[in-house]
Amino acid sequence: MITQRLLNALGGRILWVAAILIAVAILVPASNLLLPVGHPLRVPNYMVALLGKYLTYAMLALALDLVWGYVGILSLGHGAFFALGGYAMGMYLMRQIGDRGVYANPDLPDFMVFLNWQELPWYWWGFDQFWFAMLMVMLVPGLLAFVFGWFAFRSRVTGVYLSIITQAMTYALMLSFFRNDMGFGGNNGLTDFKDILGYPIQATGTRATLFAITALALAASLLICSAITRSKLGKVMVAVRDAESRTRFIGYRPEYVKLFAFVVSAVIAGIAGALYVPQVGIINPGEFAPANSIEVVVWTAIGGRGTLFGPIIGAVLVNYAKSWFTAAYPELWLFALGGLFVAVTLFLPRGIVGAIGQLRHYWRSRSARDEGGAPPETPETEQVAAEKTVRARSTAASPVLGAAKPQPAE
Amino acid sequence: MPHVAPLCPAGHLPHKGGDQPAGYSSPISDVGRKAITSKLLISPLVGEMSGRTEGGNVGRILLQLIALFAALFLALTPAHAQSVEELVRQLPEGSYSDRGKIVAQLAATGDVRLVPLLEALAAGELNVVEETGQVVTTAPSGDTVRLTDALTAETAGEASKGAVVRIRVNNSLRRAVRAAIGQLTLMSDSAATRRSAAEAMFNAAEPDNLALLDEALAQEEHAGVRRTMEQARAASILKTDASAEQIAEAVDTISARGDRAALGILTAMLGQADDDVRPAIQEGIKAIEAHLALLDVGQNVWYGISLGSVLLLAAIGLAITFGVMGVINMAHGEMVMIGAYTTFVVQNIVRTSFPGLFEWTLAFALPVAFLVTALIGIAIERGIIRWLYGRPLETLLATWGLSLIIQQAVRSIFGASNREVGNPTWMSGSFDFYGIAMTWNRFWIVVFALAVFAILLVVMKRTALGLQMRAVTQNRRMASSMGIRTPWVDALTFGLGSGIAGLAGVALSQIDNVSPNLGQGYIIDSFMVVVFGGVGNLWGTLVGALTLGVVNKFLEPYAGAVLAKILVLVFIILFIQKRPRGLFALKGRAVEA
Amino acid sequence: MIEKMGSTRRLLGAAALAAMLAQAGPAVAQDETIKVGILHSLSGTMAISETTLKDVMLMLVEEQNKKGGLLGKQLEPVVVDIASDWPLAAEKARELIEVNKVDAVFGCWTSVCRKSVLPVFEELNSLLFYPVQYEGEESQRNVFYTGASPNQQAIPAVDYLMNEEGVERWVLAGTDYVYPQTTNKILEAYLKDKGVAAEDIMINYTPFGHSDWQTIVSDIKNFGSSGKKTAVVSTINGDANVPFYRELGNQGIAAEDIPVVAFSVGEEELAGLDTAPLVGHLAAWNYFMSVDTPENASFIETWHAFIGNEDRVTNDPMEAHYIGFNMWAAAVEKAQSTEADAVIDAIVGVEVPNLTGGTAVMLANHHVTKPVLIGEIQDDGQFDVVWETEGLVPGDAWSDYLPESAVLEADWTDPVNCGNYNTETKSCGGSM
Repeated sequence: MITQRLLNALGGRILWVAAILIAVAILVPASNLLLPVGHPLRVPNYMVALLGKYLTYAMLALALDLVWGYVGILSLGHGAFFALGGYAMGMYLMRQIGDRGVYANPDLPDFMVFLNWQELPWYWWGFDQFWFAMLMVMLVPGLLAFVFGWFAFRSRVTGVYLSIITQAMTYALMLSFFRNDMGFGGNNGLTDFKDILGYPIQATGTRATLFAITALALAASLLICSAITRSKLGKVMVAVRDAESRTRFIGYRPEYVKLFAFVVSAVIAGIAGALYVPQVGIINPGEFAPANSIEVVVWTAIGGRGTLFGPIIGAVLVNYAKSWFTAAYPELWLFALGGLFVAVTLFLPRGIVGAIGQLRHYWRSRSARDEGGAPPETPETEQVAAEKTVRARSTAASPVLGAAKPQPAE
Repeated sequence: MPHVAPLCPAGHLPHKGGDQPAGYSSPISDVGRKAITSKLLISPLVGEMSGRTEGGNVGRILLQLIALFAALFLALTPAHAQSVEELVRQLPEGSYSDRGKIVAQLAATGDVRLVPLLEALAAGELNVVEETGQVVTTAPSGDTVRLTDALTAETAGEASKGAVVRIRVNNSLRRAVRAAIGQLTLMSDSAATRRSAAEAMFNAAEPDNLALLDEALAQEEHAGVRRTMEQARAASILKTDASAEQIAEAVDTISARGDRAALGILTAMLGQADDDVRPAIQEGIKAIEAHLALLDVGQNVWYGISLGSVLLLAAIGLAITFGVMGVINMAHGEMVMIGAYTTFVVQNIVRTSFPGLFEWTLAFALPVAFLVTALIGIAIERGIIRWLYGRPLETLLATWGLSLIIQQAVRSIFGASNREVGNPTWMSGSFDFYGIAMTWNRFWIVVFALAVFAILLVVMKRTALGLQMRAVTQNRRMASSMGIRTPWVDALTFGLGSGIAGLAGVALSQIDNVSPNLGQGYIIDSFMVVVFGGVGNLWGTLVGALTLGVVNKFLEPYAGAVLAKILVLVFIILFIQKRPRGLFALKGRAVEA
Repeated sequence: MIEKMGSTRRLLGAAALAAMLAQAGPAVAQDETIKVGILHSLSGTMAISETTLKDVMLMLVEEQNKKGGLLGKQLEPVVVDIASDWPLAAEKARELIEVNKVDAVFGCWTSVCRKSVLPVFEELNSLLFYPVQYEGEESQRNVFYTGASPNQQAIPAVDYLMNEEGVERWVLAGTDYVYPQTTNKILEAYLKDKGVAAEDIMINYTPFGHSDWQTIVSDIKNFGSSGKKTAVVSTINGDANVPFYRELGNQGIAAEDIPVVAFSVGEEELAGLDTAPLVGHLAAWNYFMSVDTPENASFIETWHAFIGNEDRVTNDPMEAHYIGFNMWAAAVEKAQSTEADAVIDAIVGVEVPNLTGGTAVMLANHHVTKPVLIGEIQDDGQFDVVWETEGLVPGDAWSDYLPESAVLEADWTDPVNCGNYNTETKSCGGSM
């Protein structure tokens, strides 16, 4: 019953956030295109590109929240799905260059020409078609997530083990994409795009449109995720997160629930990647770096996991901070980011959204409750506290991680 | 566009007035050719410059011709006519190849005084006094340098630093010097010197060496040295037009040696050999190759063990914090890095304050690194980790943040670039183990890794602390009721794990970069090892590390370094599907999540 | 719009956006100063190499200001950190140009960084001075390549080994990314051109930051024991070099037996190494700290004074920044303007002294002329120049040893005005 209330409350907020995103999708491009340069309310070109990038990151964080916040799968490899989507888009954009590359080769991208490739490898076929590329944007990450999840969830690889093998997955992909022999441009990745669907990629109009599409895609993903989590399936997802064994004993198949969420999440991440590439103009194997995926986890944690819109806020805020710090105080950026990690995990276990919710709750019923104490044990709402006990019980059941379980040292 | 670069002498800079590169296809000209020409007493230029020849063109041409012949004559004069002193004086100037010839002539004199001189030359320690042309070695004394005549070893006064010029050497000259030293020391009193001399002659086989080798063989009594000399002799015979019989014999001698160098000589020989000796050579090659293929397997196992021991060192601290305590410490790599930087600091202190103890640096660094990282670990545990028990994934985030902070802090303090940590001599070089080349630093790291593992095992099984650690991890409440101060044990366990990471850092400073990124390179691999081996099991970590190391090294020759690593990762992912709890999984109810 | 969104109390996301829009970076460009953008990684994996370049740029700007600035204005450096994150590099480049209104940018180290920011410079028509030796196969109107192209480093080095050391067998070892791949392709073609058989060339690639070199070094050793003189041409990148050289030293590969000539190892990299076992191994660069010229001596002195540490070394990319900065300053003086188009027109043909006693000229293909120096590693971590080209080698954007690029030519002056002019079809190839 409590969960029901919580979900309803979230649903209301999510509609709000989606509405704002749609407004942003209209207003930002409009202000950029219609207002004259120098107008105080005009969003400069630079800012459009930047905001577009933030929103794709927000989408990635949202995708992670679906699996981490609701099913309890901490994926440390979500950057891989994002990058795969990005590569699919990048391959389309590369093919669009056609004979305008520096060597004027109509078929082969430049990097293949100067590394003496004779013909286009088979996995590049079809990417000159937009529809095919878009299909691949969803299919490739989705398929990888399906295969990976199929094995991992059926074998009941959970918790830390799962996190670490997802990390191994993205690491292996990074190393593979770094190889020039793979035919994805090696370390340089894919770059120097010219146009998308015939529109020049650097034109203001194209950028504004891409931005609008990104904001709308984010809004749509948010609503889809919200619909999933508010459905009956969503409740099973939360049950799997909080007590997987119990859910299984009741008769559900947690592996399928997990697999479903994982694949949906990967597809959203893939779309985010596809939107990211034309806006930043490059995709390279660095996107697969395990550190990037961990950063995504932090955006989600900072925003507040299990809230769907929290991660969006987290992604935008952290990335804005990154943009600001790397220009204003370059030397301090890592200190700030690192400090943020530590502070959030210690003081804001429910993220910003959770903290604000708690704060409001606290003010309203300050007389009724007083749970102050050690730093991490900040005042908790009823729901959070209830959820936490469940979580604590479930983690305690794990042999490695539980502190109250018999376990030989070696 | 032009693509053949113009080539020119080294040493001094040519004119670079214009932007037009001159003479694209000009051959390599030698540094001192000019110098040599001007040293000749009579040179074509003399006639030109004397300007006295009023007899017109004919006279001038005649004079030039005479000068030219004179020059040619001088140049062709047999070298042994010159004394050792004269030859030595010619060392500083001339092209590297000309000076190589002078070195060969010096070797032919057989004058043993030349050995230290040549050694100094190869080491780049030989100088020439610019004014007098005297060849000297120098030792700094205040603002001036003390000179010692390189040939006679007599002191030769002092000179200002600017007055002496170092005699340049390059690789080809060094090779010539090495061969010369070989010739000069073949009759040395020390067996080791004689052996290395013979080895040098084996590598630089010349028909001219035969006489010398025969002479040396006649009086050699040491069997090992004798064998090397015979091999050198055989290699030299192959360079002559010896009879088929002699060649076959030489091929046998060389085949018996059975190493790569022998294979190289035989392969080179195969191309130019007569048909009748060819089968013998081919047979020799085949025998050596079979032997080497066997060695390769052994070599790969060794490389695998050595890579595995590095992984073990990096992962074993993690096995404690992650395996025993359930804390995912992403800052583990940074503890390794701090250990390496501690080594750097300790070594610097030793270098500046106690230079005599340099060889012992690592021994000093070990306890210091352990203490420093253990203390940092305890501080982390008290400050951050203890608030997060039971929330493993959040320890991951917090410690990752911490790792960023530590990295950047080290970067701010020590700078972003690599720091130099020297190898003590006992960790440099390699030795031969039944044909398998083992480098000392790898060898000691394997030993060290196993020692750390053993000590850790003893600590866990045989000490009070280990007992308490195990008690706390098994049943915290019960342990607490029995009077164990559980928070204290937590802190110490984390400190121990971090301290061991610090020890790993000391070892890694000997083979890898000491840079702020050091830890990053190992953290993922370490997690793979612990997860593969089975969390909570030290033996699993040992077996896991060695297995991954060996698998990686066996894949590498076929797949290349990148693909090998990818394959190992895929292998781990698949393996975890099969055994979700790793190699040495804990059995029983506790395993069920 | 901002007001409206900010007024909705609960909407944190909107507030964040508003905050961002309100603070679009540090203030608007001031007219009194000329801004110079410095775009290097100060954190992450590349910080190891790039931090020094940021410092040298700050020093050059400071020195120029002491001389009275440019066009009567003071220069103002704007430093950003690209954190070894290449999409971030594009973002930062855009920020420098659009928000900070810098007139020229000095930066990037890796090829991927350059490739990532290149479209930005093209779109916004600004200037980038790129200071590192690279794989060539590129010439862009807005970019000036002050580092070496392959014909200014790789080919002369191979010539030296072939002629001076008599090398017949070659190991081309590199990190697996575009610079080694391309350089090795060029070298392979060049060597085959010179009559080296295919089986006498071994090519090996390793990942970034590779630290376990046992197998590869022993492979090199085996490859080198065939009786023919062997050398290693190393394009191994930065961090991986220290363990590589350590392994070489420990496995007893002396420079006399198998010399290694490296294109990415300079004084800065050697600073992390005990070089005693490496004496005799080679590096090819266009500058060495040990070069004895008055220009270099004063450069080193200024550098030491600026950085406040007598032990800091100088290296080739630093010289490239020195050349690039001076060229830009000279072109600005010549054009009497910092406008990108004016500078691009003025800079071709500009001649400034380099640190090795010659002059660097900006060529029409936006590369510069450089001497090629081959140095042997000394036990003090410095290089001893054993050989150098007689004159200056002009940088070639398009290698003549790759079939596709042999026909291409770059010329940014009228009438060609093209980065990839096809000399066969007499047309400007792609759209660059």
